[in-house]
Amino acid sequence: MLELKRYVADRGALAFGLALPIALFALMYAVFSGEGFDGTAHVVDLDGGPMAAELVARLEAVEGLEVEIYTEEEAERALDRSRIVFAAFIPAGFSENLAAGRPTKLTFRQRGSGGDEGRIVMSIVRAAADELGARAQVRAAVGRATEGGGFSEQQVDEAVDTAFAESGGTPSIGYESRVVGGSGDFLDRLLPGVLVMFLLFAVTLNAEAMVAERELGTLERLLTTRMGANELFAGKFLAGIFRAGLQALVLLSLAFAVLTLAPFGSFAASLGVALLVAAAVSAVGLVIGGFAKTRNQATWGAVFITMFMTVFGGTFFNVGESGAMATLSNFTLNKHAIDLLMAAIHSGPGALADEGVAIGVLAGTCLLALAAARLVFRAVEQGR
Amino acid sequence: MTQTFLSANDLRKSFEHVQAVDGVSFTIGQQEIFGLLGPNGAGKTTTIRMLSTVLTPDDGDVVIGGHSVLSGGNQVRKIIGVCPQSLALYTELSAMDNLVFFGRMAGLGGREAKAAAEENLDVVGLRERAGDAVSKFSGGMMRRVNIAIALMGRPSLLFLDEPTVGIDPQSRNHIFETVLRLRDEGMTVLYTTHYMEEADRLCDRIGIMDSGRLIALGSAHELKSGVGDPDSVTLEEVFLSLTGRSLRD
Repeated sequence: MLELKRYVADRGALAFGLALPIALFALMYAVFSGEGFDGTAHVVDLDGGPMAAELVARLEAVEGLEVEIYTEEEAERALDRSRIVFAAFIPAGFSENLAAGRPTKLTFRQRGSGGDEGRIVMSIVRAAADELGARAQVRAAVGRATEGGGFSEQQVDEAVDTAFAESGGTPSIGYESRVVGGSGDFLDRLLPGVLVMFLLFAVTLNAEAMVAERELGTLERLLTTRMGANELFAGKFLAGIFRAGLQALVLLSLAFAVLTLAPFGSFAASLGVALLVAAAVSAVGLVIGGFAKTRNQATWGAVFITMFMTVFGGTFFNVGESGAMATLSNFTLNKHAIDLLMAAIHSGPGALADEGVAIGVLAGTCLLALAAARLVFRAVEQGR
Repeated sequence: MTQTFLSANDLRKSFEHVQAVDGVSFTIGQQEIFGLLGPNGAGKTTTIRMLSTVLTPDDGDVVIGGHSVLSGGNQVRKIIGVCPQSLALYTELSAMDNLVFFGRMAGLGGREAKAAAEENLDVVGLRERAGDAVSKFSGGMMRRVNIAIALMGRPSLLFLDEPTVGIDPQSRNHIFETVLRLRDEGMTVLYTTHYMEEADRLCDRIGIMDSGRLIALGSAHELKSGVGDPDSVTLEEVFLSLTGRSLRD
C-alpha cells in the first residue's frame, strides 16, 4: 500500500504514467490507422487535346486524389531524383485516336514498384482511362451508325450519356478504404508492441525502487521492523504489477474502445496476458535491483535488458521463423508476450490454450526471477 | 545498575579486510541511557546494525530482552526501535503517512498507528505539521520525524544513532528533552554520538569506542576520574588520554 501511496503522491510520475500511454496510442493510431486514401497522380500531358483534359478532369474529381501536371522533362528529372516514384504519360494523339475509336495507350513510368501509393494511383488512372476509352469507342460507334441520319453531334452525345447512365456505367471512379477495427499493422504488431514496451518499463522502475529504498536508508529501517524480507519482496513485486497493470488497462481500454474491437473476452484475455507480462518483468527488475549498488547501475542494467528484448524480440516487426533474429527472439520476453497478446486480441481467451509455451516462458521467468532476486537479496543483505 | 536488558558478547564484524568491530562486549540496564562514543569510523554504527539485527555478527552474540539476535531476530525486532544515522524517510509523503506506515510495520493496527503517530509527532513537536510533505521540512525537523518513527510501536529499547548530526541547537535541545522523557517513561536507550558534551549531559553510562574496540566503559564521572579531577576533566580529554588522539581527528 505504501508503494501505491508513494506512486499517487508523486503527481508528476502518475500523470506521466497515465498520460504517456494515451498520447502514444493517439499518435500511433493517427499515423497507422484511419479511413480513406490520400495520394497524388503525377501526369505528363503530351497530347494537349480534349480527351487528355477530360482524363485529367476525371482524376481531379476523385476524392483524396490530387493531380500534378508535369512536362516530360520535369517528370523524368523528378523520377531520376526519386522526388516522385511514378508518373502517367498521356501520349501525343491520345484525343485524336480516341475520337476515331482507334486504340491508344497510356505509359506509366515508375521507380521500383512505385510504392503502395503509386500502385493505388496507377489503378485509379487505369480505371479512369478505361472508362474514358469505352465511352469514346461507344461515341464513335454511335456516330458511325447514325451518320447521315440527320442527328446533331449534341443529340449523339446526349444519347451516349443516357445509355451509360442507364447501363450503370456512368463514370464514377472512386477509391475508399474502410478499415474495420483498426489497420492490420496497428493491431498485428503496433498495439501489442506499444503495450509490451510500457510493461517493460517495470523492469527499470522495480530495479530502481529497490535501490532507491537502499539509498534512502528506508530498506535498513524496514529490516529492523517486524516486516519480513519476503513481505518486502511481495510488496515491491505487487507494486510493480500494479503500476504496469494500470498502464495496460489504460492502453487496452483505449484500443478496444477506439478500434471497436470485439468481445469482452478478448479484452479480459489481453489484460490477463498484460498482467502476466508485468509480473515477469517486475520480477526481472527485482533481480537487477538486488545486484545494483546505485540507481545508475540499476537504470543501465534495466535499460540494457529492455533494449535487448525490444530489438531482438521483434517488438515492432516480425523476426520470421528462422535465422539468427528468430533464434535470439526466443530468449526475450517480448516475443512470447507479443505472441500471446496477438492471440488474445484477435481470437480471445480460447486461443491462449494453444500458447502454452509462451505462457510457460513468462510464468517460468517470473518464478525463477523472483527466486533469484530473493537469493541475491539474502546474499547482499547479510542473510535476511 | 538495574536489570540487564541488552547484553553484547564479544561482537566481531569485518568488511572485506577491514575489522569494523573487534570483540566488543557490554551490557545495558533496563531504563538506562547508554552512550556509545567514538570518532567517525570507530565502529559505532556497525555495532548498532548488529544489535538491531540488520547485520549478522561474524562472531559473538547479542541478547536483547531475553532473545538472541542470532536465533530470535523476529522477537528482537518486536521490542526495538531504530533511528538510523541517515534520514530514512519517504520525503514525498507527509510526516503522518511516514509514521503510520512504519507503525503498521511495527505491528500496529490502522487506528492504533494513527493514534501513535499523532502522539509521537506531539513528542517531537511536529503535530502541527503532520500533514505536510517531509520534503518541505528543515533538516532539524526531518531528524525529529526520524526519531518519531523509531518510537512507533513503543519499543522497549530505542537505538538513536547520531540523532543530532547537522541540526540547529533548538532541535538538539528538543531531542535531548525527548530522550530524557522517554527514559523516565521506562524506555531503554542506546545513544551514539561523537559529541562528548551530549554524552556527558544525557548518558547514565558511556562506552568509548576506537578502531572497532571498546576502550573504556563507565559513567561519565568514572571515566573522568580515571584521568583527573572529574569536575574539570572533559570526556574529550578522557578520549585523548586513552588514544592519544582527539575525537575529531
